[in-house]
Amino acid sequence: MHDVAIIGGGVVGCAIARELSRYKVRVVLIEAAAEVGFGVSKSNSGIIHAGHQSAPDTGKGRFDVRGNALFGQLADDLKFGFRRIGALVVARDREELPALQALQAQGEAKRVPDLEMWSANRLHREEPNLSHTLTGALYSPSAGVINPYECCFALAENAVANGVELRVESPVQRIERTPEGLLLHTPHERIPARFVLNCAGLYADKVAELVGLRDFTIRPRRGEEYLLDKRLQGLVRRIVYPLPTRLTKGILIIPTFDGTMMVGPTADDQDDRGDVRTTEAGSAQVFDAVRTLCPSISARDTIAEFAGLRPVASTNDFIIGPTAVKGFINVAGIQSPGLTAAPAIAEHVVEILRAEGLELVEDAAFEPSIAGPTRFAMLPLAEQQRLAARNPLFARMVCRCELVTEAEVHEAIDHGARTLDGLKFRVRAGMGRCQGGFCTARCLELLSQRLERPLAAITKRGGDSWMVTGLASPQHPSAEEAGQP
Amino acid sequence: MPDVEHYTCLGCPMGCPLELVHEGDEIIEVSGHRCTRGTKYARQEFVAPQRNLSTTVAIHGARWARLPVKVVQPLPKERVMEVARIIHALRVEAPVEMGQVLLEDVLGLPGAAVVATRSMERLPDASG
Amino acid sequence: MMGRMEGRYDVVVIGGGPAGMAAAVGARDAGAGRVLILDREPEPGGILLQCIHSGFGLHYFREELTGPEYAQRFLEKVVDTDVDVLPGAYVSALAVDSDGDKQVRVMSETHGVSSVAARAVVMAMGCRERTRAAIRIPGDRPAGIYTAGLAQKLVNQMGYLPGRRIAILGSGDIGLIMARRLALEGAEVVGVFELMPYSNGLARNIVQCLDDYGIPLHLSTTVSFVHGRERVEKITVAPVDDHLQLIPSRAWDVPCDTLLVSIGLIPDNELAQRLAMRLDTNTGGPIVSSSLETSLPGVFACGNVLHVHDLVDYVTNESLLAGQFAGEWAQGVRRPVDNVRLVPGENVRYCLPHTLSPGRYHTLYMRAKTALQPCRIRVGNLLERTLPFVVPAEMITLKIRPDLLDSYQDDTLRIDIVPAEEGEPRA
Repeated sequence: MHDVAIIGGGVVGCAIARELSRYKVRVVLIEAAAEVGFGVSKSNSGIIHAGHQSAPDTGKGRFDVRGNALFGQLADDLKFGFRRIGALVVARDREELPALQALQAQGEAKRVPDLEMWSANRLHREEPNLSHTLTGALYSPSAGVINPYECCFALAENAVANGVELRVESPVQRIERTPEGLLLHTPHERIPARFVLNCAGLYADKVAELVGLRDFTIRPRRGEEYLLDKRLQGLVRRIVYPLPTRLTKGILIIPTFDGTMMVGPTADDQDDRGDVRTTEAGSAQVFDAVRTLCPSISARDTIAEFAGLRPVASTNDFIIGPTAVKGFINVAGIQSPGLTAAPAIAEHVVEILRAEGLELVEDAAFEPSIAGPTRFAMLPLAEQQRLAARNPLFARMVCRCELVTEAEVHEAIDHGARTLDGLKFRVRAGMGRCQGGFCTARCLELLSQRLERPLAAITKRGGDSWMVTGLASPQHPSAEEAGQP
Repeated sequence: MPDVEHYTCLGCPMGCPLELVHEGDEIIEVSGHRCTRGTKYARQEFVAPQRNLSTTVAIHGARWARLPVKVVQPLPKERVMEVARIIHALRVEAPVEMGQVLLEDVLGLPGAAVVATRSMERLPDASG
Repeated sequence: MMGRMEGRYDVVVIGGGPAGMAAAVGARDAGAGRVLILDREPEPGGILLQCIHSGFGLHYFREELTGPEYAQRFLEKVVDTDVDVLPGAYVSALAVDSDGDKQVRVMSETHGVSSVAARAVVMAMGCRERTRAAIRIPGDRPAGIYTAGLAQKLVNQMGYLPGRRIAILGSGDIGLIMARRLALEGAEVVGVFELMPYSNGLARNIVQCLDDYGIPLHLSTTVSFVHGRERVEKITVAPVDDHLQLIPSRAWDVPCDTLLVSIGLIPDNELAQRLAMRLDTNTGGPIVSSSLETSLPGVFACGNVLHVHDLVDYVTNESLLAGQFAGEWAQGVRRPVDNVRLVPGENVRYCLPHTLSPGRYHTLYMRAKTALQPCRIRVGNLLERTLPFVVPAEMITLKIRPDLLDSYQDDTLRIDIVPAEEGEPRA
């Protein structure tokens, strides 16, 4: 019997799991996909918002300032990349300036730290590549960027290290009410729990339906994002938002944590929860909008593109709290600024559980930090030499574009990578210019060897995303274990 | 009344566009070639087309799962797939030397030996 | 000797494919005493090892060899000429000492993270494939989209098929050769789609790789959308007009589980960029003198890292030369700085080397922008040569004699490729 079962290993589920792992409670984190963070969280803009853009009387506006404040310590503990690069909300003409002032007032009321109103002159001095027709900007230095998938991986790893059980490839198909609590059915097992947290992102309404709750629905809002060539690195140093208007919901310029420029997202409501296509229309919309902010960015500079889905609830706000079903608690509809809010939501959910009668005794053995992955290429030479002398696999290059060594790949697999995408998002192998042309074959071999699975069973991201199949002509019967050194 | 056949010479990467003039089975003239391989190729293609075959076979105990091989002489074009199937059924043990004959007279075609096109060492930790 | 890296070297060659091996032999032939090849793969030979088809070596070995045979024969030559070869060695940095010597930073399983000193360096790292991202095909992002070269490695070395029902975008030679390989291994190749109105592959490969296997080639057609949530399920293809714009009204769907992209190669110039070398935006490779020396003195470049070749024999010839110049440089020989700049003119996409000197034999390499037949190549007003045809897919080589530039006064020399009738010989 678990005290708490968390359905959904996105950033919210992972943050709650990690927060609960401070206490002496039995927690299981259940994820439908092959790895945590593979749903909404993976294809996120990665912005840690300052908090002035959301109204304080909404669920969205309640957790963002606190969440932002928590990220500094969290990133230090969990060794994921986080940089407070600051953000600018820009005005495109004089008429927009009062709206900037209103935002500033809202932010100050919410105690967003160090907001500054910049004149057009100041803006052009600080960000000379932005359009010279912009009339001013509201600067928020506390805003930052992270790699959202790294954050999920690290939260889950730390939670597991502190005793949380993790189940992947385990979609919850049925929930039974029992005298003791709830019984979750996955394709592999039945999991009894006193409390169930519904953190199922795009599928939160479907999970609620499993206990008969039909008081909200989730509709995906697709957002296309475009990553730009290294050529444009440093073009803009801060996150740039336009003021939201009736026409656009805001297409941003985002200098990502890795230094790559990203532009987007679009916002298209749709019914399909699996459709993450990118389109010509989306690309045109993004680049038309971005050109008004920064004229030197062009669609030609795209090196990669993807789309993500925000889980927008029918209430258009976060849905967090107990329900009519005893023990079943919703943490649903967590769209933007959900990533920012996640650590604060986790604190809040712990308080809800306490109020609902869960006894929470702090665990003195809680270890808040993890070692974090080795980033060989970032280390000073002497340290590289020391590592390579100890483990020669640190001197064996796997991904030459992003300079990833075989030892780092092993480390990532040992810390939970099960798929090619999981490996890519952990160590960046395949994210560079060749987009995996050179390293994919080796990554497949390493996953196969380390996980002791046939190579043809390794997928891109779980499910039916198979990578290779056997030759029609027969293999040598023992070719599978012939292995490569 | 002479007929004209057009071929692309497969003799080398130049790929000369060849023209072969014939009356019935009788070849009258070949043109378009930049070397003697061209005329030879056009005549052969007219009479009985031939193709080279290289493919791989399963190998055990080596760094790679497949060993590249070739048939040392051109095959009748229509029998290439058949020969490929026979070669694909082969299994070899490392080590193998480049040029090592893996199969003689494939399909009973005299001289059509299947040879390894590279050497492959036996891995020290390969099991028997 | 295989696996040896010790002491100082006259020439260090980065890359052990056909270019690197030839450069090492060239350097030894020129009298360089100690030569080392650093290769990042577990065994030298480069991409040749996965090119199991024949068609290599007609010029150099005077017989038609498969890729692995060419590589192995050349490697035997390299080892016979007393060159050290360190496989599994990745070059992460290169620094120039105050005396002009180079320190090459090497990561290798056997030698850890170390540095090796060289007088001259030859860059021979080859090229990489352009990816789906480079041409921005809209659609889903399922598994099952691979570059042709990756598919080649999966099939020919590892023994796996990338899929069962395969569409190929791009009709370059790798795409064509993979179409045949996959058909021969029992996959269904549903078609090859080419944006341009002509194939970018050799004519003979259209015949022996597509026609022989009944694989359709759709010219002036491209992939407009990829469908499939987890694995590719189908692609939408559409013809393009004369301006290469899609004609969506004539699009159709092609069911398949795999899309191979074979849309061109680009020099693997990460190291060149890290060294802030001057690059040619047309080739994607470094700018080189008539000695194939880059803008960094004593660092030479050859093979596909310099510009993408279509025949390995050309790579070998060019690299023997680069190795020779590097070998001479290591022994203190300095050539006069070039004084004539070669400029691509009409219908010339690029030409190499970028500069020339009088009094030397030169081999010029160039590519046409569009197909012409017949045509004339004009080198300034100094030389004209008639060719039966030129196509963008086939590199043109032109040898010029040392006396050609003897009385040339200008500091630029323009190369044009013009229709034959416009290029009547001058009196």
